[in-house]
Amino acid sequence: MENKIIFSARNVEIDFNLRGKHLKAIRKASLDLFEGETFAIVGESGSGKTVFTKSFIGMTDKNGRVTGGELLFHGEDLAEYETEAQWLKVRGKKIAMIFQDPMTSLNPVRTIGEQISEVFTWHLDATHEEAKAKSIDLLKRVGINDAELRYGQYPQQFSGGMRQRVVIAIAIACRPEILICDEPTTALDVTVQAQILELIKSLQKELKMTVVYITHDLGVVAKIADRIGVMYAGQIIEFGNCHDIFKNPFHPYTKALLKSLPQLGTKGRDLYSIRGTPPSLYKEIEGDAFAPRNPQAMLIDFKAEPPLYKLSETHYAKSWLMHPMAQDYLKQITASESLATHHKEPTQSPGATDSASGDILVSVKNLTVKFKLNNKEFRAVDNVSFDIYKGETLSLVGESGSGKTTIGRALMKIYQNVEGEIRYKGSPITGRLDRRRMRNLRMEMQMIFQDPMASLNERAKIDYIISEGLHNHKLYLDEADRLRKVEQIMEEVGLNKDFVSRFPHEFSGGQRQRIGIARSLVMNPEFIVADEPISALDVSIRAQVLNLLNKLKKERNLTYLFIAHDLSVVKLFSDRIAVIYEGKLVELASCDEIFRHPLHPYTKSLLSAVPYPDPDFEKDKELLVYNPAIHNYQKDKPVWEELVNGHFVYGNQHELEIYRKELMIS
Amino acid sequence: MSAEESGKSAELRFTRDMFRAAVFDDIGSEDIGYTNYSYWRSTIRTFFKSMVVRVMVVIVIAIILMSFIYPILSKTDPRALTTNTAEWNLRPSADHWFGTDTIGRDIWARAWYGTRNSFLLAFVIACSDIGLGAIMGALWGYSKKADVVMVEVYNVITNVPSTVYLVLLAYIMGTSYLTLFISMASRGWIVEARFFRNRILSIRDNEYNIASKCLGTPVRRIATKNIIPHIISLIIMETALCVPYSISSEVFLSFIGVGMPVDAITLGNIVNHGRSSFTMHPYQMLLPTIILCMVTISFYIIGNKFADASDPKNHI
Repeated sequence: MENKIIFSARNVEIDFNLRGKHLKAIRKASLDLFEGETFAIVGESGSGKTVFTKSFIGMTDKNGRVTGGELLFHGEDLAEYETEAQWLKVRGKKIAMIFQDPMTSLNPVRTIGEQISEVFTWHLDATHEEAKAKSIDLLKRVGINDAELRYGQYPQQFSGGMRQRVVIAIAIACRPEILICDEPTTALDVTVQAQILELIKSLQKELKMTVVYITHDLGVVAKIADRIGVMYAGQIIEFGNCHDIFKNPFHPYTKALLKSLPQLGTKGRDLYSIRGTPPSLYKEIEGDAFAPRNPQAMLIDFKAEPPLYKLSETHYAKSWLMHPMAQDYLKQITASESLATHHKEPTQSPGATDSASGDILVSVKNLTVKFKLNNKEFRAVDNVSFDIYKGETLSLVGESGSGKTTIGRALMKIYQNVEGEIRYKGSPITGRLDRRRMRNLRMEMQMIFQDPMASLNERAKIDYIISEGLHNHKLYLDEADRLRKVEQIMEEVGLNKDFVSRFPHEFSGGQRQRIGIARSLVMNPEFIVADEPISALDVSIRAQVLNLLNKLKKERNLTYLFIAHDLSVVKLFSDRIAVIYEGKLVELASCDEIFRHPLHPYTKSLLSAVPYPDPDFEKDKELLVYNPAIHNYQKDKPVWEELVNGHFVYGNQHELEIYRKELMIS
Repeated sequence: MSAEESGKSAELRFTRDMFRAAVFDDIGSEDIGYTNYSYWRSTIRTFFKSMVVRVMVVIVIAIILMSFIYPILSKTDPRALTTNTAEWNLRPSADHWFGTDTIGRDIWARAWYGTRNSFLLAFVIACSDIGLGAIMGALWGYSKKADVVMVEVYNVITNVPSTVYLVLLAYIMGTSYLTLFISMASRGWIVEARFFRNRILSIRDNEYNIASKCLGTPVRRIATKNIIPHIISLIIMETALCVPYSISSEVFLSFIGVGMPVDAITLGNIVNHGRSSFTMHPYQMLLPTIILCMVTISFYIIGNKFADASDPKNHI
């Protein structure tokens, strides 16, 4: 790593004006970027990572402004820029930025080619022919096949991952010195995410750019980051090189964040979870912002903000634990921590599998759901069959658009046009049902939704939201009884019962998700479809919600259909895993079996795409890319077959033969 | 192990006591700090932030009050015509603030009576348009079967020029308040219904509605709890925009002769009457036209500004 500092942000403060209130989004954040490095900024939503980096190119939102600090770039303080004209010299040319959603950052009515070559004709005064040649070159460089053909196409002809590649191509067209990537892969599937990460890494080496990579997921950055900064409540609280952060985290928040990653959990045990909820901008912060959530916080953490201490040449942390007077306490907690990890070893997984009985609760046979899109019919779910046993957790894993949510909603009887058969407790529930049966079903089957922001009615109080089911089925004696039931379930999901009269917007994502869980559990259902309940949540909150779901399952003897897009999440508490690709189940087996002997190439690629939070492991991991064209289903038709006890796979006779052999060897 | 101690912490006197474990506070850890944001309070605040809106609201209230109070207090009869030609076409004076028209009726009095009548008519039409439109729009948006039928109804109604059946109706039923009401209300609702249908379609498939469905919430409660609270601001906005539209339609219809009977006092008739003698006595048209313009412009601006204010994105 070179040691020349190319960009330096010092004590940056950014304020927002919201309805007459001053909110401090960034509280004296500092950061140095070295030439040619990849610096990852990791933080939860609301920690200010996007606002902070957007200020590097003068793009604070209209009601926000930089109120203090310096942004030094080539000896110039960008914080003193006042006009757009000044910023335009830097923005895009010297410092470029890629945003999260590739769907919205491209203009849908202009071709990809126009949008890239525009950069050359605008900034570099190239002629049209030159610009075209350069654009095609650039498209090839970001890994787009048939670049000449693709040049004339529109964004809607590109998949999400391809669009993000185009966005990257546009961003690097001017050969910027710094490339800021704001969660470039969050909106993408896991397998695509891994590919984009590789692309950014190779481009950075090739063009010798400095890359700032913003993410909320520590697991992602092990592969690409040279140095990592952890952000919490508008400050960078710890930074160091990749090894420092992953192997020797110092700040209690960084430690907790690493420990709570689902990839590192052990099956059958609760995940380590950070308690509490990250502060919003409205909270007055005093002392160390993380202290209220840190069970090992010291009294001083609540009183004064810790200074930045140096741990080694590369590693700095903002924590009072480095203070000379805190050394005794530090020793004490490190001792108790190592004791805890030792204690952890002998408890072998008590096995979530025990809870599953042999009774089939839900049975799905040849389920097909068709949708009409622009008068063309397509099968969102295609001939899918599986059983869910009472008391088990069956996870359904697949990419976006694979039909996993559709299956969940078909079970909940939200769609009318369902073909095939679904049986619940032995009797079919497809087609029209009489009122009483429908009522009972609605009480026994419930759903937990993906997006806690969209799944709560903004104009209703928490009290109404949670007791909606009680109202519908008249499950209470009187008003007092209803309130008691609401408070009881709120306590069970870990919400303060004084919150009943608040509105949803007063809660954070994790709290809202718990409200959603309370809403579906208040009627004591037996079967729950959990539709990606944690994918929209912050990393520090995911573990909380996973643990809660697990706890509720044990206490109430629930059966889950758990829908997820990421294998790492489901590994910990599913009994069986089904992998779905483009509306078809491709593999189904017990959790251990899938991880030990994955057969279908798609499952293998999913497994290899899971980012693992260990830089040594990640940096020389080989990525498997699934190409559906390898299957030749022209003559030999594929079937859904059980190879060995409980291990189903989708393939034709020839493939099944190979899979059988694979199983024999292992 | 030295550190760049910040100014604040240097003031603090460190004691060993401070470096001891603190008690973990479960409730404190969940405290995220929240805003006491309320949708309606913010909407009204954003709405009244604009100076233009405040002026417009004052103007509208003043005109409405005047048009309702004047007919009660005043003893001038707006219909009192006179055969005394000396009283015809008087210029503004102390007796007749805005002069008299071609048959000696006081224009000041007529203007306020006319404003009141036009307002009442416009308000009734707005209520029926929005009321019917919202209900039909909800059914249209919610039921897939109704959609096919409603699209055709919409095409038929909107594609027949309204003046054609207005003229027909006026011939069949004769001009009256009722004719005008029927002719305008028979058409306005479908446009509103389509507007509400589009809005409801976008709300209908939100996850919280699917959640309600999973909980077995009956459609009636989904409508009152999940849908209406989200479109009530649209209903207010559309009503505000419908009033000036109805008033100007009335003026237009009177102008082409199929509006109100000649003896009815409405803004349309007064403006129309003033227009015929405009070349000789331009002041006769002045007052009613000013009131008409002020009412339509301010309602239009109020409606649009309210639409902006009711969008949560603008609550900053």
